[in-house]
Amino acid sequence: MTRPGDRSYKRSWKNLLINKRYQLRFTLFMVGLSALLMVALGAWVMWVANETTAVSMTSVRGDACPRLPAIGQAAAADDDVPVQRPSMKLDDGDGSAPAVAPAPGAGSGAGSGSGSGDDDHRRVNVQIDESSMTLTATVPPDLADRITAHWTCELRQIATFDRLERGRLRILWAMIATGIALVLGLALYGIKMTHRVAGPLFKVSLYLSKMRDGRFDKVYNLRKGDQLVDFYDQFKHAHGGVVTMQREDITRVAAVVAAAEAAGLSQHPAVGELRELLARKEKSIE
Amino acid sequence: MSDPTAATGLTSPVRTSRHQRKLSNYLLDKNLQLRYILLVTILSALISGALGYMIYDQSRLASASIERDLQVLTMADTSRQEFTSILAGKDQALIYEMVALGFGLVIILSAYLVIMTHKVAGPLFKVSTYFDHMAEGRLGAVTPLRRGDMLQDFFSDFKSMHESLRARTQSDAAVMERAVTALRDAPAAADAAGARGGLLDSLDALGHHVATRKKQLG
Repeated sequence: MTRPGDRSYKRSWKNLLINKRYQLRFTLFMVGLSALLMVALGAWVMWVANETTAVSMTSVRGDACPRLPAIGQAAAADDDVPVQRPSMKLDDGDGSAPAVAPAPGAGSGAGSGSGSGDDDHRRVNVQIDESSMTLTATVPPDLADRITAHWTCELRQIATFDRLERGRLRILWAMIATGIALVLGLALYGIKMTHRVAGPLFKVSLYLSKMRDGRFDKVYNLRKGDQLVDFYDQFKHAHGGVVTMQREDITRVAAVVAAAEAAGLSQHPAVGELRELLARKEKSIE
Repeated sequence: MSDPTAATGLTSPVRTSRHQRKLSNYLLDKNLQLRYILLVTILSALISGALGYMIYDQSRLASASIERDLQVLTMADTSRQEFTSILAGKDQALIYEMVALGFGLVIILSAYLVIMTHKVAGPLFKVSTYFDHMAEGRLGAVTPLRRGDMLQDFFSDFKSMHESLRARTQSDAAVMERAVTALRDAPAAADAAGARGGLLDSLDALGHHVATRKKQLG
């Protein structure tokens, strides 16, 4: 917007910010509000998403996987061998090894030698090699399937945890990306939108500056897409009104100057003043 | 600005020293103001709506997960139904909370934006009123903007132009008036006595013109 009379002037990114105070105020309000909403509601979304992920993980953990069968365990028991967990009891300092928690069903009847049901669990199925009299523990026939089932389940759970975590992170990154894109997009759009108001104001300001100096040039139309069209029309009418005032003055003064010259008063100082006034006014509306 | 002339201080019969804002005329430039208000409000509603839906969706997923687990743990137990209804109620309450929050946001935001845009539309309205007066040749005194109004720089440019134009017009009127007085009293040349009548007529016309101009200057 360097020359107001240039009708072919096009918008340029370089001069989008022509009224910083007005444009930045409105744009920053829009951007700030959107950012605030994104952060506040985004935090709420993440809080709920974290909760959902935790609940889902707990739910997955609740679905116990089939346990690994112990080789040599009685096949008839059909129960999986519980994994022996290390005792949580701390070393009491006497140098003895930490106690190992007994397996369920294996504690009470140990060494009793009775033929109770508990003892069945402790019995080991063996195969006797008669030639060498070697005892070899027998492998349950479905051992491979059970091991596969166990690890498939474990891996599926791990994959589920991973998927849940990735889902949670995807929400987080999607919101961060959306927030940044929104803020940048809104900033650009806000500046461009306010430029359509600031542009006509700037143009009017240039004309006002000329009018202040006593120049009443022709006023050209706004660019396509500019706002404040009605306001600009009113300015054009005002400009037209001022030009009309100058023309009326010129008509009246010119008539007096002509009449004074006809009356032989061309050398009169007042006529000289009127001539100067006339010349100035004629120049102002050129 | 129910009475625009009050703002300009030109021809209002009752002139107030300070024009106050009124609730009824906050939407001075509907096109300009509503455009911005609608944009920001719709944008905020969209963000809130989208994120609100995500919140609800996540919450519903958590509830569904809990319900599924309960279904396994408490087969046909009445406590499960109670808990399920509690979860459903919680999700429902979340919807109400977010709808209420959304409406509150839209109402407060719209009201604030009307006030904010009014601070731009107000000065534009005031200047456009002066423009109307200028179009009729009236160049009365310009009163300052209200406190808190925006576009102060623009208004300052306008005021500067208006005062300069007014001063120049006053000066020109004074020159013309002096010329009328001086030429009316000046004796015509002997060989141009016949033209004296024409000069007096044009001086009368100029005198009338100056009187009108001075009246327009207020």
